[in-house]
Amino acid sequence: MRSSREAVVEKSPWTGLVVIALAGSLLGVSYNWFGLNSGAAWGLPWIAEDRVALLEGEQLVSGTSDGDPYATTQVDPLAIVGAGLPEIRSHGRPLPIDLQAVEQYVAADAALVIDARDRFEYDEGHIPGAISLPADEAVTDPARLQALDTGGRPLIVYCGGGTCETSLDVAYELIAVGHERVAVYMGGFPEWLDAGNDVAVDAAGGGR
Amino acid sequence: MGTITGFLAAPATIRVCQIAIGLILGFAGLAKIGDLQSFAVQIHNFRMVPIPVENLIAMTLPWIEVVAALALILGIESRAAAILAAALMALFTIAVAVAFARGLDIECGCFGTADASRVGAVKLMQNAGMTAIAGVAALRPRRR
Repeated sequence: MRSSREAVVEKSPWTGLVVIALAGSLLGVSYNWFGLNSGAAWGLPWIAEDRVALLEGEQLVSGTSDGDPYATTQVDPLAIVGAGLPEIRSHGRPLPIDLQAVEQYVAADAALVIDARDRFEYDEGHIPGAISLPADEAVTDPARLQALDTGGRPLIVYCGGGTCETSLDVAYELIAVGHERVAVYMGGFPEWLDAGNDVAVDAAGGGR
Repeated sequence: MGTITGFLAAPATIRVCQIAIGLILGFAGLAKIGDLQSFAVQIHNFRMVPIPVENLIAMTLPWIEVVAALALILGIESRAAAILAAALMALFTIAVAVAFARGLDIECGCFGTADASRVGAVKLMQNAGMTAIAGVAALRPRRR
């Protein structure tokens, strides 16, 4: 190994480094983009887009909307059926739902409402009829999500407002375990409260 | 020069470290590729990168690891791969340290879901150790 003192040809490692990083990135993107990866469970290659759209407040208004916001994604908008409830359809991803629609659903007890906030927040006050399912527990316990008895109703997940990542997590997990009609109420509890709606205060979980 | 630096910079030592870190990286990368969705969620849980970037990282990072691992094990451009590995390991260590400091109780995601390791002091030390190994692997061989 110790070959005298002739200088080994010094090669700069930086080119190799860039090549490795680029090759890896390219492989990764192609593997996921061009369908070599058959497990499409995580959706499109740029899976984040859906979530970003949700987080940036893309929201359907209950009632007819001009300019179908889902025209490009081939997803039916939240449709108002007559004077009835806005329909929460199966889209393979959570559907954003607004305050008005949530109010209608809660009034009619037509959806299983899930509070994705921490349990103590739930205990301090929550949307009437909602069950507590903190995001931390929900995402680590798929069996529990699967076992949820919706009574054939759609699911509405809400959180503490803001970017609402927790309720999105829960909503995606709900879909992953097989629930179909899942909506996310991005306005969350703060908006519900500000609108002067009823708040239920009862401790511990409910509806388990 | 001291014996320790001499030992560390010996071509044989460097080669062993390269292969070791290559095996670790390769295993970690493959585990992540096998369960991409979980890995994306794990990245999300670290809450360190913007959401639009999370999936891009989830898609590319494991492959970069695998390519670097192959280079390390096969000895092709191994010094470049070792530098990359050391940088990645340092990055991971920082990520784990930050998550630990923020009190996040999350999965490390270091090996995808292949290990159930959570972010904590032990994980931090493991990562520091691996960073050190990768650092040695990235040394310039000393001719004697």
